[in-house]
Amino acid sequence: MFKKILIANRGEIAVRVMRTCREMDIQTVAVYSEVDAAAAHVLEADEAVLLGESEPSKSYLNIDRIIDTAEKTGADAIHPGYGFLAENPDFAENCESSGINFIGPPSHVIRDLGNKTLARTIMEKAGVPVIPGMLKATTDTALLCQEAEEMGYPVLVKAVSGGGGKGMRVVSAREEMEEACLSAMNEAKKAFGDGSLYLEKCLESPRHVEFQILADRQGNAVHLFERECSIQRRHQKIIEETPSPAMNPSLRKAMGDAAVSAVLASGYVNAGTVEFLLDRSGRFYFLEVNTRLQVEHPITEMTTGIDLVRQQLEIAAGTPLPFKQQDITRRGHAIECRIYAEDPEAGFFPSPGLVLFHQEPSGPGIRNDCGIYSGFEVPMEYDPILSKLVVTAGTREAARMRMIRALESYVILGIRTTIPFLIDVLKSPEFAKGDTYTDFIERHFDNWSQNMEASNLARIAYIVDELTASTKPSAGLKERGCPTPWETLGEWRM
Amino acid sequence: MKFCLKIAQETVDVDVSSLDGKQDTEFTIGEEIYHVRYKAISDSCLHLVVDEKSTEVFVVRGEQEKHIFINGQTFSVQDDDQFPSRPARRRGIEQAPGDVTPPMPSVVVRIMVKEGDLVKQGQGLIVVTAMKMETTLKAPNNGRVIKINTTVDAKVAPGDILVEIEKEEKSQ
Repeated sequence: MFKKILIANRGEIAVRVMRTCREMDIQTVAVYSEVDAAAAHVLEADEAVLLGESEPSKSYLNIDRIIDTAEKTGADAIHPGYGFLAENPDFAENCESSGINFIGPPSHVIRDLGNKTLARTIMEKAGVPVIPGMLKATTDTALLCQEAEEMGYPVLVKAVSGGGGKGMRVVSAREEMEEACLSAMNEAKKAFGDGSLYLEKCLESPRHVEFQILADRQGNAVHLFERECSIQRRHQKIIEETPSPAMNPSLRKAMGDAAVSAVLASGYVNAGTVEFLLDRSGRFYFLEVNTRLQVEHPITEMTTGIDLVRQQLEIAAGTPLPFKQQDITRRGHAIECRIYAEDPEAGFFPSPGLVLFHQEPSGPGIRNDCGIYSGFEVPMEYDPILSKLVVTAGTREAARMRMIRALESYVILGIRTTIPFLIDVLKSPEFAKGDTYTDFIERHFDNWSQNMEASNLARIAYIVDELTASTKPSAGLKERGCPTPWETLGEWRM
Repeated sequence: MKFCLKIAQETVDVDVSSLDGKQDTEFTIGEEIYHVRYKAISDSCLHLVVDEKSTEVFVVRGEQEKHIFINGQTFSVQDDDQFPSRPARRRGIEQAPGDVTPPMPSVVVRIMVKEGDLVKQGQGLIVVTAMKMETTLKAPNNGRVIKINTTVDAKVAPGDILVEIEKEEKSQ
C-alpha cells in the first residue's frame, strides 16, 4: 500500500479523502492556493504545500507544479478528488510517466470516456442504449445552430469534455442558440481547457439515475447499485438519494448489467459512475461515465457499508476486489443534500464571503462531509460547495424526515446558503411522493422565496441578543482579573 | 424600550417591557403580543421560550445587520438606529434605475455592448463569472448605453456601476 498520498484538490473532498488515508495509516500532502492558506484541507493534512496564486490555472490546475510537489514531498500516489484535474487525461498521463500512481482509471480510458462523443460510440458498440444526438463535437456555432435546426428544439448543448453541468445549456428556441453556444464554449474552455460542443436531443422530464461501479486491474467489475440525482439546478445535482424511488428489481438488474458492460467495454479500472437518463416509460439511455469519485458517493457508502475511497486506494495499489456482485448488499435509504454558498432567492447566484458562524447537525444517522468552519472566508474563485449533508434511515420516509431535522439544525451564518431551499424541497409533497424529475426545480420551485413566518421571532432574537450582550457566557473561564501563571508560580523552578 | 427593526425591506416597531425587571418579558410587534423568557447559552446561541414554546436561535453580528438562524431559516435584521443605512458602496452615489451592477463580487468575462448602443429591456450587456459560473447582467429597461465603467477581466463588486443606461425618450 502507498505510504504517502498527495490530494490534488481542496475543500470537503480533499478532507474526505484524507480521513480514509488516516484510517489506513497513510501520510497525506495537501496542496493549496494563496487564498486557501487556512482552508479545511490544509488543516487536515500531515503536510501542506503552496501551489501558487488563487486563479485555478496557477494552482489546482497547474499539472507541472502538482507533479513536482508530489516528487519533492515523496508522495507515491495522487488522489485527484472530483473537478479540477480529476478527469484530465494529460494529468493522469503525466503521473504515469513520472512513476506516481494516479488514483483513478488509466489516462487512455479517461481520454476515451472524457470525449463524450467517443464514449457514445463505445457504448453503442457495447449494446448500451444512448440518447440520439451528434457523434462529433465542434466549435463552429453555425454548424451547431444548423444541427439544432435539424434535430428540432429543445436541444441540449454539451461540452465534449464536460461534467458537473459546466458548459451545458438547454436551448428551447433558435434566438437563444448562438449566445448559449458562446457562453457554454467559454465556460467549458475555462473549466476543462476545451470548448468543443455537441448536441443531444432533450428528453422530456427524465430522471437522472446513475450506477456506482468498481473495477480492479484483474478485470473484475461490480456495481454498487444506483443513485437517483434528479433534483438539479443549472444541471448540477443538489439532492441525491439511494435507492431510486423509480427503481424495481428487473429495471435495476438491466441498468446494473448495462453499467458493468459499459465499464468492461471501455477497459475501466478503479471507481467510476455510469450515468443514465430514465424516461417516463422506463426506458434508459447512457449519458456519460464519470471517471472519478462522485460528489454524491457517500450515499452509496452509507447504504452498502463500503468505503469507496479505501477501495480506490486498494485498486490503485493492485489489490483485487474483495467481493463479487452477489456479496454486495445494501440497507435502508440514504439522502444527500449539497450545501452551496448560493442565494436560492437570486437564481442560485454564488454567495462567497466570511462564515461568521458554523455549527453542524448531529445525532443518529447523520454524516456531514464539510470543508468550512466558523471564520473561514469562502473564496469566489472555486466551486461554491460548502458541505454535503448525508442521512441514512430504514425507509425513504424516515430518511426524508431525518434530513429535514438535520437541515433545520445546520447553522451557517454570514453567507447565503441553499439550506432553507432544501428544507422546502424535502417538505414538498412531490418530493415526499418520489416524483423527482430533472425539471423538478423549474416546475415546482421557480421564483422560490424564503418562508418569513419566523420573522417576528427573528426580531425578538435580535432584541434579546441586545439585552444579554453584557452577560453572555463565553467559552472557557473569564480571564479578567485573574493572575497569569507567571505571577502565581513565584519562586518555583522547572 | 422601543426598537425599529428591518427584515427584507420591511420595518416594524417592536416594544419590549420586562414583567419582573428581569428575563420575563413582553414583546409587542404590530398587533401581536408575545410572552418571552430567555437565556444566553453562549456568545451566539440564545434560548427563547416564546408563548411557552421553546426555541434555540443563533445570532451573530454582521457589518450592517445581525444574522439570525431559526430552525434552518436565516434572517438579516437591521436596526436603523444602530446601523444607519449607508450610501451605495464605493462610488458613493445613489444607484439609479438604469444602472447595472453585479449581484456579488465577480470578474467581467465579456462586454456585449458599447457606449451609444440602443438596448432593449432584458438584453444581455455584460457576462460576469464567480465561482466558475457565468451570469449575464441584463438591461433593466430600454435605453441608450451612456457609459461603460469596466473592462474585461476587471474584478467588480455589488454597488459598482458597470453600465449606465439612459432611458429612451418617449418622443424617439
